[in-house]
Amino acid sequence: MSMIEIRNVSKWYGQFQVLADCSTQVSKGEVVVVCGPSGSGKSTLIKCVNGLEPFQKGDVVVDEISVGAAKTDLPKLRARVGMVFQHFELFPHMSVIENLTIAQTKVLGRARDEARERGIKLLDRVGLKAHAAKFPGELSGGQQQRVAIARALAMDPICMLFDEPTSALDPEMVNEVLDVMVELAREGMTMMVVTHEMGFARKVAHRVIFMDTGRVVEEAGADTFFGAPTSRRAQQFLASLKH
Amino acid sequence: MLGQLDFSIVGPGLPFIWIGLLFSLKLTLVAMSGGIVLGTLLALARTSSKVAASRAAAAYVNTVRSIPLLMVILWFFFLIPLFTGAPMGAENSALITFTAFEAAYYSEIVRAGLNSVPQPQRFAAAALGLTKIQALAHVVLPQAFRNMLPVLLTQTIVLFQDTSLVYAIGAKDLLKAAEITGKNYNRPVEMYLFVALIYFSICFCLSTLVKCLQKRIAIIR
Repeated sequence: MSMIEIRNVSKWYGQFQVLADCSTQVSKGEVVVVCGPSGSGKSTLIKCVNGLEPFQKGDVVVDEISVGAAKTDLPKLRARVGMVFQHFELFPHMSVIENLTIAQTKVLGRARDEARERGIKLLDRVGLKAHAAKFPGELSGGQQQRVAIARALAMDPICMLFDEPTSALDPEMVNEVLDVMVELAREGMTMMVVTHEMGFARKVAHRVIFMDTGRVVEEAGADTFFGAPTSRRAQQFLASLKH
Repeated sequence: MLGQLDFSIVGPGLPFIWIGLLFSLKLTLVAMSGGIVLGTLLALARTSSKVAASRAAAAYVNTVRSIPLLMVILWFFFLIPLFTGAPMGAENSALITFTAFEAAYYSEIVRAGLNSVPQPQRFAAAALGLTKIQALAHVVLPQAFRNMLPVLLTQTIVLFQDTSLVYAIGAKDLLKAAEITGKNYNRPVEMYLFVALIYFSICFCLSTLVKCLQKRIAIIR
C-alpha cells in the first residue's frame, strides 16, 4: 500500500520550472532517500508532499488524501505528516517542552498533562529529557534537531519527511541525529529523506531517488543505486561525493 | 532675570495640573492600546494575500502618515459636529483622533515586526498542523512583538509628547492645565517650566526602560 504517491508533479516559479513531471511513491514502512546536486528540486519536492509548497500540475496523494485538491483540509493532513527542517525551526520563544506540546494541545486537542507526558517520553527517547525546561537557543544544533524530531513524533505521524536534517550541523553532531533517524527507520516508520548522507542511505534506505534539474533521473533499490547507477549524472554525482 | 521667578504658585496649582496629567496619560494609554490593536489588524491586512484588504490598509496608512497630526485633530473636532449635529467634546474627540492616527504609525512597526519572523517559522507551524490563525497567535505574533517591543515603546514616548497638541482644541491635558493655572496666578513661565519638567521626567524614565528592554531582548536572542 502506497503511503505517499507523487504523480507527475510540475512546479514553476514564474517562468522557471523547478519541478518537471516528478513521479514516485513511498510505501508504508518504506524508507526512501532523495538525493541530487543542490538546486535539483529535492527540497521543493518534499515540501510538496505536505503542501507547504504549492504545485501547478499533477498531484500528491498522502494516505489516500489529495494534497492538491482545493477541498482538502491541509492543516488536518499536515498534523499527521511529521516534518523535520534543515535549520530545525524550533520556536525560539518557547521552552523545549512547550515546543513539543503546543501542536498536541492546539491541533490534536490533547489535555496539557497528557501532551506533556508524551513530550517528556519522546525527549527521553532522543536523550534530552534533562533539557525539557531549556530554551532552544541554549541547545547545540544536534540537540535542537533531535528536539525537532521529537516534536514531529509527538503528533503520532503516519509518515515523516526530512528535509536535509543534517546539512546545517557541525560534523561532530551529524551522527547523534542520524542515530535517531536510523532507529526510527528500524522501527518501521515510513520516511522520505532528502539528504547527502550516503552512509545513512546505504544503511537504512530501501530505495534511492536521484534528482537533477527538477526531474527524477533515477530511482532504484539502494544496493543497485550505489553499486551500479545507470544514469551518467548519478554516476558523476556519486563519484563527486567520494572525493 | 531668573531671580524674578516665583515657584511658590506650583503648590496650589498642583491639583489642577494633576487632572491635566491624568488626561494626558489616559490619552496616551488609550491611543497606545487602541493603536496597537488596530495597527496590528492593519498590518495583517497589509501583508495578507487578499489584494483588496492589502490595498485598503495601505491607502489608509499612507494617507494618515502624510497628514500632520494637528490638522487631523482640528478637522475631526470641527467636522464631526457637522455630521452628527452635536459636538462630542474635546476630550472624546482627542481620544478617537489619536487612536485612529497612531494606528497608522503602529501598523508600520507591526508590519516590520511580522517581516522579522523568518518564513521557515511559519512553515514549521504549518507542518505541525496549526492553522494560519493559530500560527499567527502562537508562533508569529509573539516573536514579532518581542522583536518590536523597544520600537513600540519609543513610538509611545513620541505619542505622549504629541498629546500636548490637543491643547489646540481646548482639551484639558497637562499643557492646557499649565496654561490655565499660569494665567490664574499670573505666572505662566513658571508653570510652563514646571510641566516641561514633568514631560521630561516621564519621557526620560520611559526611554531608560527601552534601553533596559533592548539589552534583555538581546540576551534572549
